[in-house]
Amino acid sequence: MENSDHLKGNSDRLLELAVPLFSFGGALVAILFQMLGISLDFHYPATGFVIASCILAYLAWIRPKKDIVALTTPIYSFIFFFLPTDSETGILLQLLYAVSLTILLVRLKYRFGKPGTAVSLGKKLGGSLKTYIEQTHDSFSGISPEAAHSAAVVFVRFSEGNYGEAAQGSGTALCEGETPDPVTPLMRAFSIIREHSTLLNKSLPRPVTYLTFSEKDSPLLARPTVPAHDDDMEFYTALDNALLMVFSAAWNNSERDRPHLLACQAFAQKLFT
Amino acid sequence: MKIGNVDVKVSIVAIAVFVFFTLLLLVASLSSPQVQSQLIWLIPALFMLLVIPIALNYMSRSQYADLLPHYEVEAKTVRIKLINENMVGKPVRIEGVVERVYFQFLNRPQYLVADRSGAISVKMFTSPDEDVKVNDVVEVLGQVIHRYIVTGDPVVNCVSIRKIKKS
Repeated sequence: MENSDHLKGNSDRLLELAVPLFSFGGALVAILFQMLGISLDFHYPATGFVIASCILAYLAWIRPKKDIVALTTPIYSFIFFFLPTDSETGILLQLLYAVSLTILLVRLKYRFGKPGTAVSLGKKLGGSLKTYIEQTHDSFSGISPEAAHSAAVVFVRFSEGNYGEAAQGSGTALCEGETPDPVTPLMRAFSIIREHSTLLNKSLPRPVTYLTFSEKDSPLLARPTVPAHDDDMEFYTALDNALLMVFSAAWNNSERDRPHLLACQAFAQKLFT
Repeated sequence: MKIGNVDVKVSIVAIAVFVFFTLLLLVASLSSPQVQSQLIWLIPALFMLLVIPIALNYMSRSQYADLLPHYEVEAKTVRIKLINENMVGKPVRIEGVVERVYFQFLNRPQYLVADRSGAISVKMFTSPDEDVKVNDVVEVLGQVIHRYIVTGDPVVNCVSIRKIKKS
């Protein structure tokens, strides 16, 4: 998988090089023919601008953060070079267009991040989430597939903002908890999610007393607990930890729910911050 | 300017365009008799430059005013961190500090609103009721949408933004 990422990185770099190559190449061909005094239909060098624009648009498309200016460059190349106009498309316009495409490429690289990876596109797990799931794999291995499915449903419903359903799902999971110890970390996570979902569903503020994880749960928590003097942070960190815990339980024990969980990966990654 | 219950606001750009073409028409009609003969349709066309933005603003603001009660009831109060692309289409209420304001002069303001959990773009497709500035603490009601309709990061399509006082 890492090898394919490396290959993809190389092909992206080649595509980035192709943008100035095709655009300035087109302008260069036009200049050469003009210097040699040979009449050349401007549509031939203009093909280079269209190809360069399409590559730039593709590079913008594969980034998680989209650049609408780069995405629309093929339209401009068509307008500038292929729509019939009264004025002739000169060398100056071609050079300016090539410079503009190169500036847009630099802007894309520095302002719109790296091209999308399988992680950012929701095709595989990555980053802190992957590490956390691997670390907690053994701790959640004894969970039944039904409980894991409930965990997946609760996480997905919560990420969708369906807080009523998330609260209901957490309540059901708590009732169906088949463990001899009723206060396992996972059950506590369901309790915390139910509390938060109920509050969110009714748009209620943080209560004075609220559920948190116990000290002995800390090895299973994705985010360290915060000092007790900051109630807001403690309250919300408990929710983040609870959501990540149910995500891990679902991922490790319910393979059929993994595509749904992958679709929520961006939200799960946000919970680490 | 008030039309019915709707407080209509014309953008500075629309006014500037109107002033520019008024001056242009004035100069042209004084210097050319041909332009003078066309004034019968040029003057109404000139006023349309002002009437159309006013009409559009009136229509969008009255639509937003109609939507507001629905959002007041339906929107859930969430922290900015909880807003993600799976929530596209959901009405939300967020509270935060305005960190940046863009395109206010176009009557299509865009705000960067932040709370302790994160920051999000809030786009409004009409002029707001209140003049919201950087560092104002605001309550935003709106719907989660993609930045570019079908793609891009989640942003809030704002129906209402109002200043609130936080203790």
